Amino acid sequence: MNHTKQTILIVDDSMLNRELLADMIGDNFNILQAEDGKQAVAAMHKEGSGISLVLLDYVMPQMDGFGVLEVMNRNGWINDIPVIMVSAESDAAYIERAYELGVTDFINRPYDVNVVRRRVMNTLMLYQKQRTLMGLVADQVYEREKSNNLMVYILSHIVEFRNGESGMHVLNVQAMTEMILTHLVRITDQYHLTSEDISLISMASSLHDIGKIAIPEEILNKPGRFTDEEFEIMKTHSAVGAQMLDELELYKEEKLVRVAHDICRWHHERYDGRGYPDGLKGDEIPISAQVVALADVYDALTSPRVYKPPFSHEEALRMIRDGECGTFNPLILECLTAVADDLKNRLNRGVTGREISVDAARLLDSAFDAAGGAEASSHTLELLDYERMKYHYFASMSNEVQFEFTEEPAMIVLSDWGDRKLGLPETVMDPYADEAFIGVFGTENLDVLSHRLRTTTPDSPDVAMDMEVTVDGEPRWLHLIARARWSDEAEPRYVGSFGKFIDIDDQQAQLRDLQFKAYHDPLTEVVNGAFARKAIVERLSEHPDGDRASDRFVLLVCDLDLFKQANDTYGHQFGDRVLQHFADRLQDSVRGDDVVARVGGDEFLVCMECPVDPRPLIARIHGSLEGEFEGFPLSVSMGVATTDGGNRDYDELFRQADVALYTKKRGGRGGFVFYDDLNEEERGALAEAGTTALSGIDSDERDR
Amino acid sequence: MSLEIAYAAMGGDLETVRGRLLTDERIEKFAKIFLQDTSMQTLENALEAGDFAEAYRGAHTLKGVSRDLGFTPLFNAAAELSTALKLDDAGVPADLARVPELMPAVRDAYTLVVDSVAII
Repeated sequence: MNHTKQTILIVDDSMLNRELLADMIGDNFNILQAEDGKQAVAAMHKEGSGISLVLLDYVMPQMDGFGVLEVMNRNGWINDIPVIMVSAESDAAYIERAYELGVTDFINRPYDVNVVRRRVMNTLMLYQKQRTLMGLVADQVYEREKSNNLMVYILSHIVEFRNGESGMHVLNVQAMTEMILTHLVRITDQYHLTSEDISLISMASSLHDIGKIAIPEEILNKPGRFTDEEFEIMKTHSAVGAQMLDELELYKEEKLVRVAHDICRWHHERYDGRGYPDGLKGDEIPISAQVVALADVYDALTSPRVYKPPFSHEEALRMIRDGECGTFNPLILECLTAVADDLKNRLNRGVTGREISVDAARLLDSAFDAAGGAEASSHTLELLDYERMKYHYFASMSNEVQFEFTEEPAMIVLSDWGDRKLGLPETVMDPYADEAFIGVFGTENLDVLSHRLRTTTPDSPDVAMDMEVTVDGEPRWLHLIARARWSDEAEPRYVGSFGKFIDIDDQQAQLRDLQFKAYHDPLTEVVNGAFARKAIVERLSEHPDGDRASDRFVLLVCDLDLFKQANDTYGHQFGDRVLQHFADRLQDSVRGDDVVARVGGDEFLVCMECPVDPRPLIARIHGSLEGEFEGFPLSVSMGVATTDGGNRDYDELFRQADVALYTKKRGGRGGFVFYDDLNEEERGALAEAGTTALSGIDSDERDR
Repeated sequence: MSLEIAYAAMGGDLETVRGRLLTDERIEKFAKIFLQDTSMQTLENALEAGDFAEAYRGAHTLKGVSRDLGFTPLFNAAAELSTALKLDDAGVPADLARVPELMPAVRDAYTLVVDSVAII
């Protein structure tokens, strides 16, 4: 997408109409087209405020123009994306409804090129201007707030400086005032405080002691107790501060000045009427002064003074609650208790920065509310655009299919190359009922996924699973990771999900390949000894208590008698082909689920279930193995062990078959011997030799 | 020249269209695109199938497009049909009884437009 051009979405079911509008608007815009309401919603979902304008028809299949507007309202898009209705409708009720739903303008049929162009340009410029203005207002509000706070801070710091108080006092009183007031409006509405009022009172609280500028320094900074006379002078600071503000030439009717006046004059009044200078009682004292009085006392208690060390947070709270420092409005004391933990964390940290940003954010909110409920400044929109661009870039690099799913409207949007990877369109409406979508993912996968997403919680919203899907009729393995989105309501609702599919089919294939290699002999592709052992042990343990005859296993070990000659005479490559041929023959002469394994150079093992008399079977197998391969005679010796003796231990069976094979080899090549037929001496022969039959035979052959 | 002949043949209003769409190139381009427009087919098929919402949509589109391009007789016929087919809140066409009598006029006007545009 070309980012220097603005994008206009044309929504009309008639191709001719869309083309005509696009042609009239001209080449200076990116044009997106949608054939019906659902496509339009999908496009908006994908592009967001990347769309600068929507031209919307009314009569359409699937979802009509009002349906689109309703979705735009529900998602708040209508605040960011202007809509012009294009329709032949002139019915008043229709036009009224369209305006109610937030349409900016109408273009009436028949189209007139000049009218279409002018309407489009006007609307785009109007919104552009609004975005720019919103950005300007935001910046100015922020700057103004910052300067205001700074001036107040400097002024109050001058008072403190002379006072010898810690530089934190004013900041602490300000922060605490704000915290208490914020909590107060949560528990009662009797004081009618807006968030702007709270902000103003907090700021004005910094000025509560400006009257002290008129108090002689030797009294102000006296380390010991005041005399009665000194105390009377000290007490004048509240009235003096108020008077100073009253005598301002300019601005004395400003709200900030009025609030500061109240605080200055009355922050030493007491709820029981025993304070000064006016002896006001209860709510005769403005709530601003009541709160600042408490904040002042708390901070004085917890700060060091020339005449006292600081008290701990807990001690200060106790003293205030016990009435050792005056009486306060019970509601405010309740607030103090509620914010007590927060207080400890937030005071004495130089909170000005936070205050500015909090105030600015709050003012911005109200400014935007006044501007018609718009929610984001132009700066934010730019950031969003940037994030979107970044997202698309990384997504396109990753070769994974990313998706976003929304419950309402039920719709899944796949990343651009989703169609390539999954054979699906970018946007699928109602995916749980869409034939193509179900065709790929399968009902069962979708049910599992849907269930798992819906049973997540807002605190733990992530789901990961592997699933086998069908792409172009071929099964493929995908790994899915997804995050469920829950609404912010008290009872969170599942509103959708986003995540990605990672194609792990190649991975799975590699894994299968590795598994195959791990368990198979690379030359003959029959399984290897390790796998055979594992498989046979499993089978032997399957029904250990079953009927012995019908549950008989036969294990045979066989050996190519003249194999060393094949190698020596015709070379190793020929020897390899002999082995491959022999392995094939062996595999062909037994049933598919019997185990055939290569356990040594030219030694193979077979294990099979054999409910009937095994001797004819073994004779048949032996017969089918003997013969010749490309002129080389195949002579095979076999040792056979059975579970007839009650032995179901693999290692023991293998040993028995091995002993039988050894006996056979010693008695002459070709043929087979059952271990059960050996006499005691033969059975013991191998044990005496102290070696394995196979290694024995190998050395036997080497010697030859 | 051929635009004038075509519009004369179908009884269209070329001068007004020139006023609105500004260039002959644009008029000619979209008159030809009209030949690919499927709303007449949509209308016929939907009536056949008894899908009146879809039929209304076809008639409505035909009306809008023919008006934009100044195909006056087709616009008039389609407009009347569109009014008759317009669905009330219950999804019932306003005047279904008139549809059989209005359809031939729409078909004739449509055929005339198609034949006329073909000579441009």
